[in-house]
Amino acid sequence: MSRIVVVTSGKGGVGKTTTSAAFATGLAQKGFKTAVIDFDVGLRNLDLIMGCERRVVYDLINVISGEANIHQALIKDKRVENLFILPASQTRDKDALTQEGVEAVINSLKEDGFDFIVCDSPAGIERGAALAMYFADDAIIVTNPEVSSVRDSDRILGLLQSRTRKAERGEQVREHLLITRYSPNRVASGDMLAMEDILEILAVPLIGVIPESGSVLQASNSGVPVIMDKNSTAGQAYDDFVKRFLGETVPHRFLEVEKKGFFKRLFGG
Amino acid sequence: MHELKEQDALKENVLELKGEMSLLNVLLLRTTELAAIEKTLTEKLEKAGQLLNRSPIIVDCSTVVDQLAELDFAGLKQTLTQLGLVPVGLRQVPENLEEQVQQSGWAILRGGKAIAQVPVETEAAPQITPQSDSEPMPSRLMLLERPVRSGQQVYFPHGDIVVMQQTSAGSELLAGGSVHVYGTLRGRVLAGIQGDTMARIFCQRLEAELIAIAGRYKLLDELDASLKGQAVMVYLDDDKLKIVPI
Repeated sequence: MSRIVVVTSGKGGVGKTTTSAAFATGLAQKGFKTAVIDFDVGLRNLDLIMGCERRVVYDLINVISGEANIHQALIKDKRVENLFILPASQTRDKDALTQEGVEAVINSLKEDGFDFIVCDSPAGIERGAALAMYFADDAIIVTNPEVSSVRDSDRILGLLQSRTRKAERGEQVREHLLITRYSPNRVASGDMLAMEDILEILAVPLIGVIPESGSVLQASNSGVPVIMDKNSTAGQAYDDFVKRFLGETVPHRFLEVEKKGFFKRLFGG
Repeated sequence: MHELKEQDALKENVLELKGEMSLLNVLLLRTTELAAIEKTLTEKLEKAGQLLNRSPIIVDCSTVVDQLAELDFAGLKQTLTQLGLVPVGLRQVPENLEEQVQQSGWAILRGGKAIAQVPVETEAAPQITPQSDSEPMPSRLMLLERPVRSGQQVYFPHGDIVVMQQTSAGSELLAGGSVHVYGTLRGRVLAGIQGDTMARIFCQRLEAELIAIAGRYKLLDELDASLKGQAVMVYLDDDKLKIVPI
């Protein structure tokens, strides 16, 4: 039985694609057959972050319009077993997405025995985002600790309650809040919203907090999902998040301001 | 003489003319083809169920100004009426068409997003008709057990809305009766939208963007700072909004 998970946020640039890549990679590393679909038609990014941009032949729109079958379009990851990427089209736009088409793609992935289908939503609340969330069983809501991102996530939560197939059937999409780019230092100085404030506004169960980390940018640029960088705090936090998603109880980390060492205090740092 | 005075006094009480914020649905036309309008609107209304039944509606012509001369105004009015809506008026009508529009029985409204003073064809408040034993009375209460999110609008003209959790900034509650929020109230909340001045608003924590009862409203900025974050009750006292801690 496949589980369909949408990674969404409303606002752009908060880390949806980074999260989708890390999440799908993490699930596959733990032995689950996982497909990750880029719904950002026209602004294809996921393939870059996954490091497979030179292997894209067919894409999601080709499959939807019948120009290719799903097996031709799926790219098998070279590093992790059980991981497949379905890229978006760069030359088309979101109008090329149809509900029937997306449903057909998801159904064929289900038939292929995928455990998880991760849908990387584009920003906004229009067609691309609406179709990315429509078939979801679970939603990862990615939020940055700032007011506009929190407001947009709230809007997305409202749409998850009304514009999904689960909602239409009177069921609920399981909601998980993931806070990204969290910087305890900037929270302490009042520049950023604290985790507690975000939770109070959104009232959604927290599944993880990813600390702000230079390794995220570095990982994106080199096409390696950050979860594979076991030395970085962000990579470790993503790993915790995947474990929590799979039902393990893992305490939250990287929430406190790092204590400065003696020399750093002495010389500033 | 005495009698005459009485009559005059009585006359004063017959009516009152007021400027008030009313809530109206707006139909934004993207085509002037009547058949297409009717088809799409029928589908939309079916989805909306009873929500829009007998509700007054404004037609906005701003996106079809160029082809507006081709629109059958009388036909549009008839279509809307047949679909169970109450056509109120047209807005964004170019001057050269105004006479034609008026002759077809439409009112012309001045532009703007939130139309304030419009001649609304007011409906009598819904009558409680005696029900037979087999048919239970429709509920006068809408109970929401989940948070009301930004961008969500809850419209319940037939009674009270009770929210067991919070409402978010950018959400809207519209109730014919009172509103109770057992959590933080952050969005907009309008009680007594059909003119019930006895309607009240209750919340555990006041952070609302706008509160209104029977058309009298207040914005967050205008609220007394000491009331923010408090559990309060809002009611109308002699046409003025009063907010008191509870």
